[in-house]
Amino acid sequence: MPKTSTSPAAPIPPQGQPTVTSSDRQNAKTLSGLRRFGGPWLWLAIAAPLLGGVLLVVQAWTLAGIVGGVVENGAVIAAMTPGIVLIFGLLLTRAALAAIGDRAGTAASEAIKTNLRQALFAQLLSRSPRAADQPHSGAASSAMIDQVEALDGFFARYVPAMVQASLLPLAFGAIILPLDWLAGLLFLVTAPLIPVFMALVGWGAQYATDRQARALSLLNGRFADRLRGLTTLKLFGRAEAETAGIVAASDELRHRTLRVLRIAFLSSAVLEFFAALGVAGIALYVGLTFIDFLHLRSTPLTLELGLFLLLMAPEVYNPLRLLAAHYHDRASAKSAIGEIQAQLGALPAEIVPLGHAEPSASPDAMALRLDKLTLRTPDNARVILHETGLNIKAGEHVAIVGQSGIGKSSLLEAIARLRPHGGAITLGDQPLEDWDEAELRHSVAMLGQKPRIFAGSMADNIAMARPDATPAQIRSAAERAQAAGFADALPEGLDTLLGEGGLGLSGGQTQRIALARIFLRDPGLILLDEPTAHLDAELEQAVLDALLDFAHGRTLIIATHSQAVAKRMHHAYRIAGAELLATPVSAASVRSVA
Amino acid sequence: MNALLAFRGLFARQAKGLLIALLLSLVALASGVALLGTSGWFITATALTSAGLAFNLFVPSAMVRGFSFVRILARYGERLSGHDATLRLLADIRGWLFGRLFPRLPLNDRHMRHGDLVSRLTADVDALDTAFLVAIGPITAAVVIGTVLTSVLAFLLPAAAVVYGLSFGMAVLLVPAGLVLTSRKAGSAIVMRAAAARAAVLDGIEGHADLTLFGALGDTQARFSETATALSEARGRLATLSGFAAFGVQALAAIALAGSLWLGLEAFAAEQIDGPVLVGLLLAILGSFEASSVIVRSVTKLTTAMAAAERLTAIADAPIKIVDPANPIGLPDNLVITLDKVRFAYDGGAPVLNDLELSVAPGEHVAIVGPSGIGKSSLLSLLLRLAEPQSGSITLGGVDLSALALRDLQTSLALLSQDSPLFNDTISANLLIARPDASEDALWGALDAAGIGDFVRALPKRLDTLVGEAGRTVSAGQGRRLCLARTLLSPAPILLLDEPTTGLDRTAEVAFFDTLRKAATGRTVILVTHAGIPEGTVDRVLTMRGGQLT
Repeated sequence: MPKTSTSPAAPIPPQGQPTVTSSDRQNAKTLSGLRRFGGPWLWLAIAAPLLGGVLLVVQAWTLAGIVGGVVENGAVIAAMTPGIVLIFGLLLTRAALAAIGDRAGTAASEAIKTNLRQALFAQLLSRSPRAADQPHSGAASSAMIDQVEALDGFFARYVPAMVQASLLPLAFGAIILPLDWLAGLLFLVTAPLIPVFMALVGWGAQYATDRQARALSLLNGRFADRLRGLTTLKLFGRAEAETAGIVAASDELRHRTLRVLRIAFLSSAVLEFFAALGVAGIALYVGLTFIDFLHLRSTPLTLELGLFLLLMAPEVYNPLRLLAAHYHDRASAKSAIGEIQAQLGALPAEIVPLGHAEPSASPDAMALRLDKLTLRTPDNARVILHETGLNIKAGEHVAIVGQSGIGKSSLLEAIARLRPHGGAITLGDQPLEDWDEAELRHSVAMLGQKPRIFAGSMADNIAMARPDATPAQIRSAAERAQAAGFADALPEGLDTLLGEGGLGLSGGQTQRIALARIFLRDPGLILLDEPTAHLDAELEQAVLDALLDFAHGRTLIIATHSQAVAKRMHHAYRIAGAELLATPVSAASVRSVA
Repeated sequence: MNALLAFRGLFARQAKGLLIALLLSLVALASGVALLGTSGWFITATALTSAGLAFNLFVPSAMVRGFSFVRILARYGERLSGHDATLRLLADIRGWLFGRLFPRLPLNDRHMRHGDLVSRLTADVDALDTAFLVAIGPITAAVVIGTVLTSVLAFLLPAAAVVYGLSFGMAVLLVPAGLVLTSRKAGSAIVMRAAAARAAVLDGIEGHADLTLFGALGDTQARFSETATALSEARGRLATLSGFAAFGVQALAAIALAGSLWLGLEAFAAEQIDGPVLVGLLLAILGSFEASSVIVRSVTKLTTAMAAAERLTAIADAPIKIVDPANPIGLPDNLVITLDKVRFAYDGGAPVLNDLELSVAPGEHVAIVGPSGIGKSSLLSLLLRLAEPQSGSITLGGVDLSALALRDLQTSLALLSQDSPLFNDTISANLLIARPDASEDALWGALDAAGIGDFVRALPKRLDTLVGEAGRTVSAGQGRRLCLARTLLSPAPILLLDEPTTGLDRTAEVAFFDTLRKAATGRTVILVTHAGIPEGTVDRVLTMRGGQLT
């Protein structure tokens, strides 16, 4: 029911409603657990309005005193000056406290959100990049940015409002009770009763909501859903039909929603009823006491006290109205938490620090041995390689060929320790598992099939391989990867911005930029996955020349479809029937189709 | 603001409902003020009276009760009518947006792909939709209440009218205007930094393997922290500004109350006003702050709505790139496809297709292979006129595509794109999009041809099964096959299939190519794939390389 959530005073859903699911309760618990990141700001956000409430009592008392004194007892106005100044001061102080409380609430919620975002980001990157349950990037970014944002109102507004609503009405009632037992009793009894009445009304609303919820969410989702597939709809010639359809569906949604709202708004009417009843009741009670119609007090009532009671009457119910206004923040935060956990798994308790490997001195060329290597697809459905072996000597250049989808990329990724494997991989003289992460990354450089271009300049993108690279080194790397040519054709050259919101590159350009990264490293083993797939024959040869020059004295493994590439390697192996088989280079089965 | 005004037509259609909501909110606010005022007047009058039981109780107590009930009913009515009008407006805005978007497709699809545009459009429509309910309505109501109370004061307590009128006016007009002006920069900083944070997340996930390989995860983490903190700081700045504005509104209210109190007491001492009326007015002034207390929140919402309106009009008023010809040529009979010297590049980018030549005879099955990102999908977009070549010609049955009516083109070609969506609807509704008049037999035929007939038969509700948002209730492979069934169901004589076997394992892939050959006999098929194609399942295999087909 997102539409009701925009209401300035959404109804308070009942406490302990029968339909609360356990996951709903779990979400509420998770949400409360996040409070610890709010720190002192959250305390300030809660304390400031409470102090404001105390000052409100003083302000009402002073105002009643002045007006009562002058109007009833004919006091001199000059004597009231300090009181008027005090009221003005109190009003300003309360205004400042309210602003400080709001600002502190935002600070607390920002601290919580930033912390959560960093923790989620670290959790995501600390897992294997090839894990089967890796979330879709669009969904994950929406969870980390948009859904985390939806927690804002809960901490910034709802939590402080909840504390106020549970303390202030009772405190006001308790202050008034010794002054006038009837008014005090009225406040003390009605204020806590309000949630009960609203719960009764809310149950009706809840029932109606539940009945409509499924249909509502379907209809509501339809807009975003159709928006996502707009091009498909257009191509099937459905433009007019869908436009009419979305209007009809929205209209249908309106009818259903209004039926629910008619009941749901009753609970805010209950709140209004009590607030109005409080003022009207106090006015009549005080008035009737003055004209001796009621004799419920042992001492005579002064105008001062009567005014004080009247001034406090709306304030007793105000915290509850504030809570009702922010109640939807709780609902949206709970559903956001559910969505975040659905996309990214259980919330991490802390921010895991991620490792960093500074490029270091040149390792020697490394030998590679595969023993009874078994590889499976991430979902375990298919065996890619079954107990196969391979020996590559230090400094050898090897091509891996085989049709598309056969597992060449998986093999390279396993050697680079990006995905789990069965059997043994020995790199240099120690098993792959025993390598220190930083040392492994210095020694092994890999270019994947779908390298990522990051938001930033072209030079930044190349320099990610060596953050301390000089502009000259970056330039030389770009030249060796045949990337400098098209970079120079752009007005800003290597400073052209790429990635999200920047210039889009063709597949071949992307690959050459990613290849340039390799030239900035100093690895003992180079793994390249289809490095020339997007290049024409001439560029392919130029790139190969530079690569072989660089790979001199290093071990090189290239997965490729290209006969031209395979021909220039020392050996070639073919993946067939889940095994690695040596294959003559010239006859390497390179299918034009695959 | 101008962008918001561009929507006045849509708002005007709901003018009646919105006006009723506004009037009711005024009645509710006014009766609240009147309730407090009357109560103050009543208790002071009873305290001062010497008439005792002879005091005329009836009128004031009836007024107190009356105002209470009017207030309760008016609030309830306001909520209901406001939401009713808002929901009607929502239907209008959605229809309007769809009507504007369809001719402008495809939009900048780099953004569309990440779902960013979709969530932004949804949020923008919602922000615009509630603009009246949470922003324009409350501000208008506050202005009216302030004016009315100032007029009453001018009559009963002229000295205070000036102080109250000025302070209240500044609180509901000047402070909001100041907030709008000063928060502009902070607002756009938030939008920019949120986009940067989103890009950082996308980079982190999509570049996960590269970052791991280069040992750059730590750096990436540090950079993301910076981005997230910068976003948080921008939000903090905006919060500080609204904090100052809220304080300003309350401080002005303080001046109004303290000033009226001081001047009122002086007038009372000078016997220009009697006690009960003075007390009534002071309480009415206190009550009127209910209207000004929501101002800052309303202004924030108004700023959001204005930004949303700007973004929506920017999309909705974008030039239509692909125009329907004024005098289209009728669809020829012999639908041979010919591309001659076609060059194509995305805006400002390197050429994707370079003097490309292709001719496909009716009924021929052609596969185009090559690594991903090489331009195979762009070729299909050109055939569908989702984009136009920079030079060269594309003809269908000898007629240039740009001379054909778009409707004719769309009925001739059916596409299964790489990201074909399933809609949040039943299986049959999803299929019927391709051919609304298809019989149930035809639906089952298409499902069987796509190799998913048995799966659907095994579902309890069969064709009436709901597939969730973005096909969440079926697996990726099954979803893909449902989309394929939809494309096969289409009556179009030419099928364009972009990577149709994504999500299928190799056995299913081989079976698919075999099925396709039979299912699409007699229809032209252009198939784009980087999977290995079994012998004899297509007539021709072409490889794309360097923007050309060989």
